[in-house]
Amino acid sequence: MRAIDIHTHPILRDDHRGRGGADQLIQRAQAHGIRHLVALGDVLAYGRSPTEAQLRKINDDTYWLMQRHPGVITGFCHLNPTLGERAVRREIERCVARGFRGLKLEIANNARDACMRPLMTAAQQHGLVLLQHAWSMTKIRQRSFHTDPEDVATLANRFPNVRIIMAHLTGCGVRGVLAVKSCPNVVVDTSGAAPEAGLVEYAVAQLGSERVLYGSDAPIRDFAVALARITGARLDAQTQQKILHDNARALLRLP
Amino acid sequence: MNYFDANTWTGRWPFAFNEEHSPRSLAAHLRQHGIGRALVSPLDAVFAPGPGPANLKLLRTTEGFAGLVPVPVINPALANWREELTARAADPRVRAVRILPRYHNYRLNLPALREFADELVRRKLRLIVQVRLIDERHEFHAMNLKPVPPAELRTFLTFRPKLPVLASGLLRSEILTLASKHADLLADLSFAEWHDTIPHLLAEVPARQLVFASHTPFLVTAAARAKISTAQVAAAKLRRIASGNLERWLH
Ligand SMILES: [Zn+2]
Repeated sequence: MRAIDIHTHPILRDDHRGRGGADQLIQRAQAHGIRHLVALGDVLAYGRSPTEAQLRKINDDTYWLMQRHPGVITGFCHLNPTLGERAVRREIERCVARGFRGLKLEIANNARDACMRPLMTAAQQHGLVLLQHAWSMTKIRQRSFHTDPEDVATLANRFPNVRIIMAHLTGCGVRGVLAVKSCPNVVVDTSGAAPEAGLVEYAVAQLGSERVLYGSDAPIRDFAVALARITGARLDAQTQQKILHDNARALLRLP
Repeated sequence: MNYFDANTWTGRWPFAFNEEHSPRSLAAHLRQHGIGRALVSPLDAVFAPGPGPANLKLLRTTEGFAGLVPVPVINPALANWREELTARAADPRVRAVRILPRYHNYRLNLPALREFADELVRRKLRLIVQVRLIDERHEFHAMNLKPVPPAELRTFLTFRPKLPVLASGLLRSEILTLASKHADLLADLSFAEWHDTIPHLLAEVPARQLVFASHTPFLVTAAARAKISTAQVAAAKLRRIASGNLERWLH
């Protein structure tokens, strides 16, 4: 089995292991057959609305990983859209020059907000993929900065030429899958919460096997558990291979 | 390796597209995943006005399935809990009972719970406290249930030192908080996860306090097994977690 993990945070403050821990995590991923990982950065290291300097630190850590593990790590640039167009542009230019292939958004703002425009325009211009945090929260009281799957759909419809990864299939659930079903530029990663049964199969049935991608959210999650969400699902081997590997390879244009 | 699953369910969960298992289909499903034995409780007892009919059906339909150990659900907030317990405990297969405090709308400081715990000790029955059934962040919108907080469980454990308790559905952080402070507490691994789940927990919690659990049909059964089978930990410790600890706890 070969896999590409579309959703990891190899350096995470909560992990208490720093850069050394990241090396161990990557080794462990490789032992599980994961040949390539997307590093999204330590996105909550400085709270939900990091400053420009804090973002640079997070993205510098990701760049360090890319250099240390060439061919193994794809970096996504973490951004705070609320910092304004100039700051956003500056950080995107800096990261693109260093070989980053995507953008990662967390909970600084809601994906439907107007402040998304500059970075979506830049994403289109540079051919960057956007990974957007999302969750179908039961009692959402943070909609001003917390993105629901419906907000991902709004964003996707406004920018149909940007490829969007909606994070956390398990958190988004049935409602989330249905929300983005009519958005061909949205794919979903299989991370989020405990490995709830039946959701990967449901996502494949609704979205098609090309629009579901394996992601773990390691180190918060266990690679063995994350992989078993797919290998333990009632899906044929070819579909599993697409989810685990082929879809991500095509999206990231990897060899 | 033998696997003895501390947390499985028959019946239907209305808020997800899960399998609806009969004892027969559950036993077959678990066997497919290399799980020979399992504690099993009836989902129909979660939302019914009383757990009696669901327990009765569980005991009747699990007969003949040697690998399934029936664990009736008791609601100590109902006035008939003693009758229900007496009736179900008459079946010699019943070694433990399960409570769902939040689904049945009480806290662990419920006065009746003291008597209930004493009665379990007297009958040499074990208690499983279901802390959560699903991730509360995306619970069905019409439900407003929070899991049992670790502090509430701690107080209960402190006042009931003789009662053998297994906490089911704790998160990784909750296991770390509770297990190191209560040496007799067992914690199932259904919701526990970190990049190296088992070694991570074993750094602070003795192996004898952890038990394998798949939480079938809510969670992916293969994922629960993979958590154990891929762990880089001494085989003897893994065997205890996979089956030995639960075995010892029940007998
Ligand atoms: Zn993440």
